[in-house]
Amino acid sequence: MWAARCNCKYFGSRFASKFRPFPPPPPYHPTALHLPSPPLRQFAECITCHAWSPDHSMIAFCPNNNEVHIYKFFTDKWEKLHVLSKHDQIVSGIDWSRSTNKIVTVSHDRNSYVWTQEGHDWVPTLVILKLNRAALCVQWSPKENKFAVGSGAKSVCICYYEQDNNWWISKVVRKKHESSVTSVAWHPNNILLATTSTDGKCRVFSTFIKGVDTRGSQASSSTDWKFGEQIAQLDMSSMWAFGVKWSPSGKTLAYAGHNSMIYFIDDVETSPAAQNLALRDLPLRDILFLSERTVIGVGFDCNPMIFSADETGLWSFVRYLDERKVTTSTSRASQLSEALGKLYGQSKQAAGSDTVEPSKPRGGAHENCITCIVPLRKGNDSIVKRFSTSGLDGKIVVWDSENHIDIAK
Amino acid sequence: MASSAAAAAYLDADENLEAIISRIEQKSRKIETLLKQSKPVEALKTALEGSPLKTRDERCKSANWIVVHRAMMAIRDVDGMFNSLDPEYYDILMKYLYRGLSTGDRPTCDQCLKIHEKLTEKAGLGCILRSLADTVNTV
Repeated sequence: MWAARCNCKYFGSRFASKFRPFPPPPPYHPTALHLPSPPLRQFAECITCHAWSPDHSMIAFCPNNNEVHIYKFFTDKWEKLHVLSKHDQIVSGIDWSRSTNKIVTVSHDRNSYVWTQEGHDWVPTLVILKLNRAALCVQWSPKENKFAVGSGAKSVCICYYEQDNNWWISKVVRKKHESSVTSVAWHPNNILLATTSTDGKCRVFSTFIKGVDTRGSQASSSTDWKFGEQIAQLDMSSMWAFGVKWSPSGKTLAYAGHNSMIYFIDDVETSPAAQNLALRDLPLRDILFLSERTVIGVGFDCNPMIFSADETGLWSFVRYLDERKVTTSTSRASQLSEALGKLYGQSKQAAGSDTVEPSKPRGGAHENCITCIVPLRKGNDSIVKRFSTSGLDGKIVVWDSENHIDIAK
Repeated sequence: MASSAAAAAYLDADENLEAIISRIEQKSRKIETLLKQSKPVEALKTALEGSPLKTRDERCKSANWIVVHRAMMAIRDVDGMFNSLDPEYYDILMKYLYRGLSTGDRPTCDQCLKIHEKLTEKAGLGCILRSLADTVNTV
């Protein structure tokens, strides 16, 4: 009942302005690439998701339509190289495998394609996912012999390649989720998969497939579980959960809740030890482990946040990444209460300005919600030093930790 | 089987309701004494502590709201209050502020808005989000 009263039209327009796409950007100037850092490029009105090629020279992204654009960096500017258009609806997930150089795309049209490069072209192979709702996210497994697709059909599809039939087969994990699966993440052992869902829970499954995975010589208990078996269910958030990721060793699991919280869990399989961290500002949409003890979170604040764990394993928020951005939390709060005050007849300021100014570009790298963060790994480094973010403002920004973050080791 | 388990849980909750209501009455008496001793911040802390967030029973929630309301309206110095209020109370205070705002009653809303402004400065937008998003622990 009270929620209805508070959903006044002022609240609606205030928050709507954050999610409305910004007007078309000014023409792109090549000099922008020469800015010290972070390098960024306005590729489109809005970017749904993106992925980098293994040598980081090409980038594939979906500009909020049914196509995937691949751009390559030539000397001093980005040029559109390919347009992959097989999907009928928006492409919600892209992943580019590092060793096999295949691109997997999933879309709201319930299909998935694996693209292989043959010469100068990208050739699609349809993967039948057997879904009756949109596919929302995709990720290649660490060994790149499987990929996982989260969907709105409350299920996760694990797809693997069957050599005999020259065909990708999908095995579906059904009846375990109560709502859409928003994000998937593979454990380094190539078998465990963590998923987050809009029912607020984070679950860990085994995806062991006979013939594809080997039981292995390590005596870890995870190799005893059969396909689709649920190892753990984490019920810490009552709100939608997004952006689950494992730490490089697989010891820690982290995910973000839409109630402005981030959750860290150690040793999920054996004896889970969880930590909640309440965020000061708006929720996160995606996170990334830079190392065992450093996490970057991105979301509706349009500014990446650094979290780090101390020696005892206690996580805390360190700071925002983009220092150019002016923290507007105080002015936003007073704007908010001023408007609420106007609603109830008080006026704290001169009653000249009747409208509240919409959120103006804050001078940071991103101007709208950041929805996707992708690591740029060099070789077999387990520590990520560079990563890129893309968001609803159509920008892709590359961040370099050497220049930006000083992480206490 | 599932429904009988749920029904049993409901009955348990019913019995506990009486316990909750008597606890709230105790709180109310304690708050009156604290207010007479001019300790409004202590009173508010006592009111916020042990709020029946998990029950679904409207009587308990309304009873606790009346107690919190009494303590909240007695606060005159909002800045001073935040100096001594622990951050663990921020989220629950924000939920009660929205309940207060929803009443539409002029003095209540004035007070709630005063506190809301300062609380948002202190706790940030995340606090507001948690009070809106939490459908499990409601006030």
